[in-house]
Amino acid sequence: MSRSSVKSLKRAAATGVVLLAAVACSTKGASDTAAAPSAAKPLSAVKIALVPGGSHPYFQPWKTAATKARSDFGLGAVTFNETAEWDQAKQNSVLTSLAAQGYTAFGVFGVSPTDINSTFSDLKAKGYAVGSLGSCPAGTTDNADFCLSTDVEQAAYTAAKAAIKAMGGHGALVHLTGNNADSNTQRRIAGVKKAIDETGGKVTLLTTVTDIDKDLQTAQKAVSDLLTAHGSKINGIVTTAYNPAVAAAAGVKAANLPIKVVAIDDDPKILSGIKDGSVAATVTQNPVGQAYVGSWALGQLQSKACTVRTPGISIDSGSFVVTSENVDTYDVARQAKTTQLIADFKANVLSCS
Amino acid sequence: MSAPPVERTDVEVESRDRAKPRRRLDPGRAQRLGLLVVIAVLVISFGSASSAFYDQQLTIFPLLRDISILCVVGLAQLAVMSIGHMNLAVGRMAALSAMVMGLAYQELHLPLYAGLVLGLLVGAAIGALTGWIISATGVNSFVVTLAMDFVLLGLVSLVYAQFTTSAAFTVKPAGMDELRKYSLADVCLGPVCGSPAVPQLFLFTVVAMLAVGWLYSRTRVGRELLLVGSNIKAAQLSGIPTGRRVIGAHALSGTLAGLAGFMLAVTAGSFTATIGSEFMIPSFLGPVLGGTLLTGGAVSVIGTLLGTTLTQVIRQGLTLLGVGLESLNIYLGAILLLALSTGRIRTVLSERKARTSR
Repeated sequence: MSRSSVKSLKRAAATGVVLLAAVACSTKGASDTAAAPSAAKPLSAVKIALVPGGSHPYFQPWKTAATKARSDFGLGAVTFNETAEWDQAKQNSVLTSLAAQGYTAFGVFGVSPTDINSTFSDLKAKGYAVGSLGSCPAGTTDNADFCLSTDVEQAAYTAAKAAIKAMGGHGALVHLTGNNADSNTQRRIAGVKKAIDETGGKVTLLTTVTDIDKDLQTAQKAVSDLLTAHGSKINGIVTTAYNPAVAAAAGVKAANLPIKVVAIDDDPKILSGIKDGSVAATVTQNPVGQAYVGSWALGQLQSKACTVRTPGISIDSGSFVVTSENVDTYDVARQAKTTQLIADFKANVLSCS
Repeated sequence: MSAPPVERTDVEVESRDRAKPRRRLDPGRAQRLGLLVVIAVLVISFGSASSAFYDQQLTIFPLLRDISILCVVGLAQLAVMSIGHMNLAVGRMAALSAMVMGLAYQELHLPLYAGLVLGLLVGAAIGALTGWIISATGVNSFVVTLAMDFVLLGLVSLVYAQFTTSAAFTVKPAGMDELRKYSLADVCLGPVCGSPAVPQLFLFTVVAMLAVGWLYSRTRVGRELLLVGSNIKAAQLSGIPTGRRVIGAHALSGTLAGLAGFMLAVTAGSFTATIGSEFMIPSFLGPVLGGTLLTGGAVSVIGTLLGTTLTQVIRQGLTLLGVGLESLNIYLGAILLLALSTGRIRTVLSERKARTSR
């Protein structure tokens, strides 16, 4: 062996020693320490973190709802962290960092619905209360304590029904939505398909355009391309993602085409579209209710005042069809739903001592 | 004929150093040493700002798990950077391999490691195909791998749509959950076990690093790859089968991308179509920070680990300190720039010192 290779080996060995020294060894069974059942704590000792999958206008109401929940329920702290950047690995890292900072209850909108159960079980194993907020894990099991979210398939179905109604019950419908590799998108596609199938062939699905919720520019370009290519053939557009909704509302209005647009969420542009008639309807969700009720329930669970009757239970946070008739009053219905959610949690979801 | 530019590996750097009466630190090594110092300073600073930074379970374990994956991603890019190429499809190759693994687990019910081997073979094959296209057509690797990225994006989406309803293979072969959760504390020699802070996945990275390090520092093929990177004409004239080396480097890149895809799938919990979508930038960051040249001819395996560690330590530390999204990336950029400059500052200082002492 040459001198240089000996030296390299020495260096590799030294690196190994440094690595080993950097981390202490343990004795057998050290990593098997399960979270010990902790005693009851007051609500003021519970620190809750609300962690969406990344930055998105949909989650902005969570911030104010979190602050309100803290003062209304006397929680120790409620933080909002949107630094996950739509990457599951980053979100996992954010969650463990928050846990290291002393947060003990987590309201999470998982980036990847097929992976988030692993994250939930990791957090649960450490003794934290976990709520899946805004989106439930894919499949039939949910390793969180509960899921409080819009039933996305149901919301897409409702939106498609509203579009079909606005189209007069026949014609060609286009579906604009988000990331095709997301299982929630697949559920939305299924919801729209279900509504179309129910028309018995009177309404046809012209096309489904996916992957255009990345940003508004992407959505605007897709809508512009769609209207240029098929504008005259389209009778209705149903959107089940935020950016395509805003882009479709503006695009159809600018092109002055007789297309009925059903949007999602209540962006000011969409609401003004409903008022001026360029948007037929929108399906709004209940992000405030998710964060507010979710924080309350997480506080109850982590303070050990309550337990979940059926772990992993799914609760619909509500979706609301907004048309020109109720555009000024729909928020009242949404607030009523939030109040009703707390009552539902008390009566059916939680079991409190 | 003038001599071809000398390729630089860790081993050669040392032999040259020895020949000099007054030992001066090689710029590559200075850069790595600088990185190590910056990492140490950051770890101490973050640790003193928040003791939670030293939490084995909540900070170090997940940090090392992320480093393990991204270091392998960095090595995948390093393999093609050694010949002066780049692989923009590194993430999508990971997605393809992970997809094949998921498919193998769901449809063929293969055990964990058999599926891994199958996925790695597919990664090697797609890498080799990319390399073959590059060497056969003479088209720039940037263009070919970009095109390959689009092709794979379509292919992967199609297959997931065909076989799954949720764009993911969620079947978990035996041992997958354990691999995600287990640390070296579960590897015992008598009563003494490893550290609970080091994930078992880190062992995959160590193996990958040893294999790549061995290739470039000990084998003739590795040296030929570096020569292809520093001067392909000289390599051809020296009788090196450059076409085969290009194919080999891309096949290695594909294999390592596949390994990273597997590690990410194990960590996250399922084999999804989005695996690898965040790989591209980290794949360049690690090696470039560590001293691997974008122009080819010089690689550093240890540097890739250090470069990856630096970026992840910064991210983890800032997250722990509760830095918001807007500031996080600014700090990340600023610290990375500082880290990159340390090597240069060191060189400038030593050159100035040498001039004054003359």
